[in-house]
Amino acid sequence: MVEAAKSQFSASETIGALLARNASSYGSNIAIREKERGIWKETTWAEYAEEVLACAAGLEKIGVKPGKAVLILGDNRARLYGGMLAISLLGAYAMPAYPGATIEELQHFLSEVEIVAAIAEDQEQVDKLLELRSASASGIAHVIYDETRGLGSYEDDGLMSWDHLIKVGLDYLNLDPHRRDELLNRAKPEDPAIFLHSSGTTGKPKGVVLSQKNVLAAARNGHAAGVYGEDEDILAYLPMAWVGDYAITVAAALMFRFTVNVPERQETVVRDMREIAPTFYLAAPRSWDQMLTTIQVGMENSTPLKKWFYHFFMDRAIAAETRKLNGHSGGALEPLGRFLGEALIFGPIKDQFGMSRLRSAFTGGEAIGEDTFVFYRALGIKLRQFYGQTENSAITAMQAPNEVRLHTVGKPAPGVEVKIDASGEILLRSESVFDGYFNKPEASAEALVSGWLHTGDAGYLEDNGQLVVLGRVSEVMHTAGGERYVPNYIENRLKFSPYIKDAAVVGAGRNELTAMICVDFEAVGHWAEVNGVPYVSYSDLSQRDEVAALIRPAFERVNKAVTEPLHLKRFVCLPKEFDPDDGEITRTRKLRRKVVEERYADVIAALYDGSAEVHVSAQVAYETGEMGKVERNLPIREV
Amino acid sequence: MFYRLSGVYHSSLISDSRMFKVPADRNLAVFLLLIGLAAPFILPSLYLNSYILPWLIWTAAALGLNLVTGWAGQLHLGYAAVMAVGAYSAIHTVRLGVPWEIALIIGGLAASVIGSLFAFAALRVKGLYLALTTLAMQFVMDWVLTHSPTISGGSHSSLQAPTLALLGQQITSDAGYYYVALGWCVLVTIFMLNLKRTGLGRALVAVREKDFAAAILGVNSFYYKILAFAASSFIAGVSGALLVATFYFLAAPEQFSVNVSIQVLAMVIVGGLGSIIGSYFGVALILLVPGLVNGLVVTASEELGMQVNVETLAHIPNAVYGALIVIILMIEPLGLGKLYGNIRDYLMTWPFDQLRK
Repeated sequence: MVEAAKSQFSASETIGALLARNASSYGSNIAIREKERGIWKETTWAEYAEEVLACAAGLEKIGVKPGKAVLILGDNRARLYGGMLAISLLGAYAMPAYPGATIEELQHFLSEVEIVAAIAEDQEQVDKLLELRSASASGIAHVIYDETRGLGSYEDDGLMSWDHLIKVGLDYLNLDPHRRDELLNRAKPEDPAIFLHSSGTTGKPKGVVLSQKNVLAAARNGHAAGVYGEDEDILAYLPMAWVGDYAITVAAALMFRFTVNVPERQETVVRDMREIAPTFYLAAPRSWDQMLTTIQVGMENSTPLKKWFYHFFMDRAIAAETRKLNGHSGGALEPLGRFLGEALIFGPIKDQFGMSRLRSAFTGGEAIGEDTFVFYRALGIKLRQFYGQTENSAITAMQAPNEVRLHTVGKPAPGVEVKIDASGEILLRSESVFDGYFNKPEASAEALVSGWLHTGDAGYLEDNGQLVVLGRVSEVMHTAGGERYVPNYIENRLKFSPYIKDAAVVGAGRNELTAMICVDFEAVGHWAEVNGVPYVSYSDLSQRDEVAALIRPAFERVNKAVTEPLHLKRFVCLPKEFDPDDGEITRTRKLRRKVVEERYADVIAALYDGSAEVHVSAQVAYETGEMGKVERNLPIREV
Repeated sequence: MFYRLSGVYHSSLISDSRMFKVPADRNLAVFLLLIGLAAPFILPSLYLNSYILPWLIWTAAALGLNLVTGWAGQLHLGYAAVMAVGAYSAIHTVRLGVPWEIALIIGGLAASVIGSLFAFAALRVKGLYLALTTLAMQFVMDWVLTHSPTISGGSHSSLQAPTLALLGQQITSDAGYYYVALGWCVLVTIFMLNLKRTGLGRALVAVREKDFAAAILGVNSFYYKILAFAASSFIAGVSGALLVATFYFLAAPEQFSVNVSIQVLAMVIVGGLGSIIGSYFGVALILLVPGLVNGLVVTASEELGMQVNVETLAHIPNAVYGALIVIILMIEPLGLGKLYGNIRDYLMTWPFDQLRK
């Protein structure tokens, strides 16, 4: 069976064909497990395929066809994933958006392509869509919702529940016995699988359409590179509009028959993760940092005996792992410490966080701090870095389990060719590379030159084939003295401090570098509690002298790592965190440098004119959509 | 440390309401059961039959009292009387030629009927008044036993229990008695474990917390109180009968007197109200610790060559044992079961201090 299945992985695979294969050959395996009121409701591949087919038929009835798009809006839900597959069967564009997307962001999507329908998670998203519909002249004639709560009295046109859509679809399917097969075989490999958007750190996000051929090739490449095996148990918690989620939770899950576990709510992810104990886990460095902070804060509050045990084993394991990373071998007693530590400390911690069954753990998106990285390796989690971009269906390069170094992202996956051009930019060629930005021929021509994708990332290949990524080519900046630097690189290193959540380094065209810092409220708040530092709010806490002293070592560490002209001289703690709702960072928490530099122009000016204090009024968008202001005097700190 | 909870998920309500939600708890229970089964091959029969066997039967009895006191929240001071009803009914039934299996059930049912009859009257009052009414039942039963020769043979006589025989097998060996006791104790434990996850158990807890609040929720508190008394009396009756059949071998009124009632109540309270594992600990403390302390004191006085007079020697263990109960209840008013729970929580959250939210 396995052999036969493997031989089926040919270039002519489509989502429909894979769905048909899973339903017929693995029909009783669990495709999706979704938690509802504490119970994990299981759906087999056969049931799942039937629901997808019914959804596809229903969508066809309401006018979804090739060239049109369907918006997917909400947190991870089994039905939203099913809806994406159904849209792919019809050859239309499935267009997921971040659940926190604002009306303006959605309006931009509407201007790109005709969106005939939207599948929304719940009342909140339906309200947003209805508002969007009344604000725009055309589009989104139909709104389908999953969670019915609160929607009983809505009487808007084209509003229907998922159950109703399925019922309509089933009636339509049952009219003609061949319709199921026809639907499964309709789409071709070149037809779209998903319509995503580039993160848009500079300007408006660009539409990226990945074909079924692209995403399935990426799934195959990832498997060949050993990112995941078959039949993995995964947790679907990443934003659905992020390419990584689609590549793993939809494409790879479909091809290698994963069981996708959908948590009850975003707030219950930690607990649900413990219950499921996934075998594969991909998270942004930020999430790994956050978990590390939680563990450390938890240990701080623990009893003396437990603390002593923790430090006894953890400190030794971290030292051993650091030695290994630097190429030294360990002592004779190391395996014993490892064994006892696993039984007494590492095992229980992994158990508490649902990481005890992990076969592969990945971090991607940006650089990860050494402390964090080493900590998880010391815990016994084979944390690896991976590198990818939306344009290449997320899967480009990843580290092998045993050859791990901090500065590389590993070797390119089989099926992905990498070369470095004369300017130092990373170029890619693979079947998983897209065909060009949606309706943006100039941008496409820039990105795709004779089959090679220009990633926009600067980097180089080491002699042993390991890829090193330095940062965005467009982000390479120069100081007034002509010194070249990548602000993102320095910011990431600042963020390795658990107390710094975000940082913006400025200094292009100036004599020296300075930084604006957003402290991490959780970590610094806890530190303040423990050390008796009084504060009333984030903006108050961030300006305290004690906090400035707390984060100063992070600057000293960074200054040690960079050359003299690039030393950070001064910094300011901002009175509010960067927020995607305010446009300062993207939904994937990448800095929008232009916006930040514009909004905090006064602060930046003050950083260089020698003043000791600057008055700032920062704009805040509340969750209700109202705008507010934070006003405060910020002291300028010397490093 | 030993408790691993990741990867435990429930895909149906049936799986969600399973008896042991934590794998380590189930493993511990299975381990203890295996030890229990192997005990006759490990322990000398003196220990087996003079310590372990009564411990098991009294645990079964204490669990029965825990049902009415710990779960349903009704104070019961006449528990020994109910056990007596079971013991005498069973013995008389066997003497009439009925097999032991049926006799045990009849003993249990007789205890159940008498127990709930009293409850009908007693449950018209609450709290301390109920406690006094049940105490009255104890005295009534004492009087009946000592004054009716047809039942007990008279005030100072005892009633010989016929040889125990189950499933056509005469049971005369020490191991045989032990297994009967173990079997009954396990049966009652399983019943109590299941009680926790049934509607009956939840209704009883609702009645315990506030009976009129339970009534507002649609729980007929009087009905459930009677049910608790009936079920608890059944367990008491069978335990009483087995106690006579496998341990005392003859029944006498003073075996079921008021101080025995108080003792069972002490077992339940020291063990922890509403705690199953606590009942095991409570019985062990009340039943076995006096003997242990006694042995220790005697050995110590002999070793040290102290000239302690016999009367003092007899009182020291009582004092120590009394102090022990006071200390335990001061450390943890919810009993030994709660102490165990504290240790379990400590290990459950290891290496953190509290459950993460």
